[in-house]
Amino acid sequence: MIFEKLAMRRGLVVAAIVLVTAITAEAHHSFAMYDHSRTLTLKGTVTKFQWTNPHAYLEIDVKDAKGAVKHYTLEGTSINMMQRIGWRSNMIKFGDSIKVVMSPAISGDPVGLLLEVTLANGETKQLGVPAVETFKRTPEQEQKP
Amino acid sequence: MMSARITRFIAVGVFAAALSSTANAQAPQTGAGVPDITGSWERARDASIPAQTQPPLKPQYLKEQQAKTQAARDASAKGTPLADRATMCLPEGMPAMMGATFPIEILQSKGQVTIIEEAFTQVRRILLDQPQKAVDDVEPGFYGRSVGHWEGGTLVVDTVGVRENVVFQNAPHSADMRIKERISLGANGILRDEVTIEDPATLEKPWTFTFGYRRVPNYSLLEYICEDNREYADEKGQQKIRVDTPGK
Repeated sequence: MIFEKLAMRRGLVVAAIVLVTAITAEAHHSFAMYDHSRTLTLKGTVTKFQWTNPHAYLEIDVKDAKGAVKHYTLEGTSINMMQRIGWRSNMIKFGDSIKVVMSPAISGDPVGLLLEVTLANGETKQLGVPAVETFKRTPEQEQKP
Repeated sequence: MMSARITRFIAVGVFAAALSSTANAQAPQTGAGVPDITGSWERARDASIPAQTQPPLKPQYLKEQQAKTQAARDASAKGTPLADRATMCLPEGMPAMMGATFPIEILQSKGQVTIIEEAFTQVRRILLDQPQKAVDDVEPGFYGRSVGHWEGGTLVVDTVGVRENVVFQNAPHSADMRIKERISLGANGILRDEVTIEDPATLEKPWTFTFGYRRVPNYSLLEYICEDNREYADEKGQQKIRVDTPGK
């Protein structure tokens, strides 16, 4: 009971810290070019994980039902923000099979904003996108590429 | 036997003197009531910190500021955000860097208080107990020239020489802008930076707002280099992402 309370309190504290960081970080690089009304879930193979500022980038190849490969460029957040929420540069490697939830670019380009990554080891990690609650998630079965 | 003990005594004495003179050379200014504010801090929205205020700009500048802010809002609402100085990976400069998007580190050393903002590795130096130069004698820069002194527990800072293209909240300012700050540590552990912008050319009256910070124990600032900015401004001034062709 006490442990539950403590865990909950710690959760709240973490949430509060993330929220404060989120509000302030919004003033920086804009994510307005991404569709806030829907998400796409993609399963693919990593061709590059770029660990740089101002933002990290993840490049993946996604095969469709007919075997055709489509390449996606996915924008992350600042690697400083990512490190503060537990990311490391070696968590994603070339050739890893991963799953991502991304907000697609409004332009229709094969580009997206990374919201969540399920790593090759099955662990799911968020990216710490500022005001992430403004990006509406689409259930997987209702998604249209 | 005796001489060996004396030699050792002298050696220890010299060593201690050397240590204390090193310590003196590096000791931060500590007078009556000067608080220890060295360490890492993050922006805190505490009840004791007033909400951000709007710049009391003269009508023509207010129009300019509102038009810029609205244009940026409209473009973002359409999903085609305008490229800005962040798109170009430029640091914020003063006073925007004190908004602490990422944590800041304050260092108190002899004759100087240094403030580092993690984002873009921004650094400003506040020279203690030195006269301020005339605006014309300061080369315009992102952070300007800051001098400060302690008035009891308050660090009083004066900054001039901020470039006209380094703006906060889209508010235009002249080359003569002065930034006055009063930095103090509250009993609640919240550090306050009360900022007053003086610029009679563009402002109806001085513009005052306050940033609050709380300590981040055991946090060392991370490096931040804008190494590969894949955002760019296209021919319409809109922010785009460079898409790399795979295999190249």
